[in-house]
Amino acid sequence: MKIQQMAFMLVAVTLFFMLVGIFVLVIRFSSLKQSSVILEEENAMLLVTKLANSPEFACGASFGNSKLSCIDADKIMILKEHMSKYIGFWGVAEIEIRKVYPDSGVECNLENYPDCGIIKVYSKNVNKLPASSNFVALCWKESSDTGVYDKCEIARLMISSEDKT
Amino acid sequence: MKKKKGQEEIVGFALIIIIVSVILLVFLSFSLRSSRKMEIESYEVEGFIQAFLQHTSNCEDALGFLSVQKLIFSCDRDEICLDGKSACEAMDFTLTEICENSWNVGKDAPIKGYQLKIISDETEIFLLNEGNVTKNYKGAAQDFVKRAKDYEVSFKVYYD
Repeated sequence: MKIQQMAFMLVAVTLFFMLVGIFVLVIRFSSLKQSSVILEEENAMLLVTKLANSPEFACGASFGNSKLSCIDADKIMILKEHMSKYIGFWGVAEIEIRKVYPDSGVECNLENYPDCGIIKVYSKNVNKLPASSNFVALCWKESSDTGVYDKCEIARLMISSEDKT
Repeated sequence: MKKKKGQEEIVGFALIIIIVSVILLVFLSFSLRSSRKMEIESYEVEGFIQAFLQHTSNCEDALGFLSVQKLIFSCDRDEICLDGKSACEAMDFTLTEICENSWNVGKDAPIKGYQLKIISDETEIFLLNEGNVTKNYKGAAQDFVKRAKDYEVSFKVYYD
């Protein structure tokens, strides 16, 4: 009788722990997809902090002393025209630069540049995750009656990763 | 005696269930908490200061249009722009517009307020407060020196 009771108890405890194990596994696996999304977002976040200072984007010495978080808009407009050579280079789905102030919702092309507000550097035709962004100074050479001068405006560099879920 | 033994086993089993349930709850709360994304990252605040200091203002002197950083020095020296406006007036206007366009502050927005402060040799030359101050904030500061004077630009963003 005692052995029977003990056996029942052992079966009950084992069943209980099996159920707990299944519960934990279900939670773990359901969060795996979420983890991949978080990883993609973190990747975009890291890229957004360093992209502005990469040779393809940075102002370099073209605007006086080398500046941090400064994007050469003239360079970007040319890069945009040769984007086919950069497919997959940054491993993201979209790179966009939006002027914050003065605000303008007009997309830039070679005809309206620099009187525009959005430079779509690169865009892949896929589902995208919400963009990670950082503030940058968007600089270009502006001409006036007195000659050419440097003009910089505050902008947001936005990067979206592909949504693989 | 038999009844007592059975009761003891049931109490033991209940204890095991309670302990495991508590462990599960802790595990659940941790897994839910870790997936929450921050509304604002510190690198954004640092990037914002770097970016607006380079922004070209509408204030022009004999050498051309001034960046916000140069405008801060001009304001500190009480200089006048070529259009007759004072450098401090131009700085006030430019910085207020930049902040208003950069940070969406509101009751329903994740950002509740911000503060931009510029100090020159321990004297406050510019202060902009918008929205509410909360316990949580991200902040950054940038120091620079011009003609033996220390300048500090600090910015704080308050969120829920």
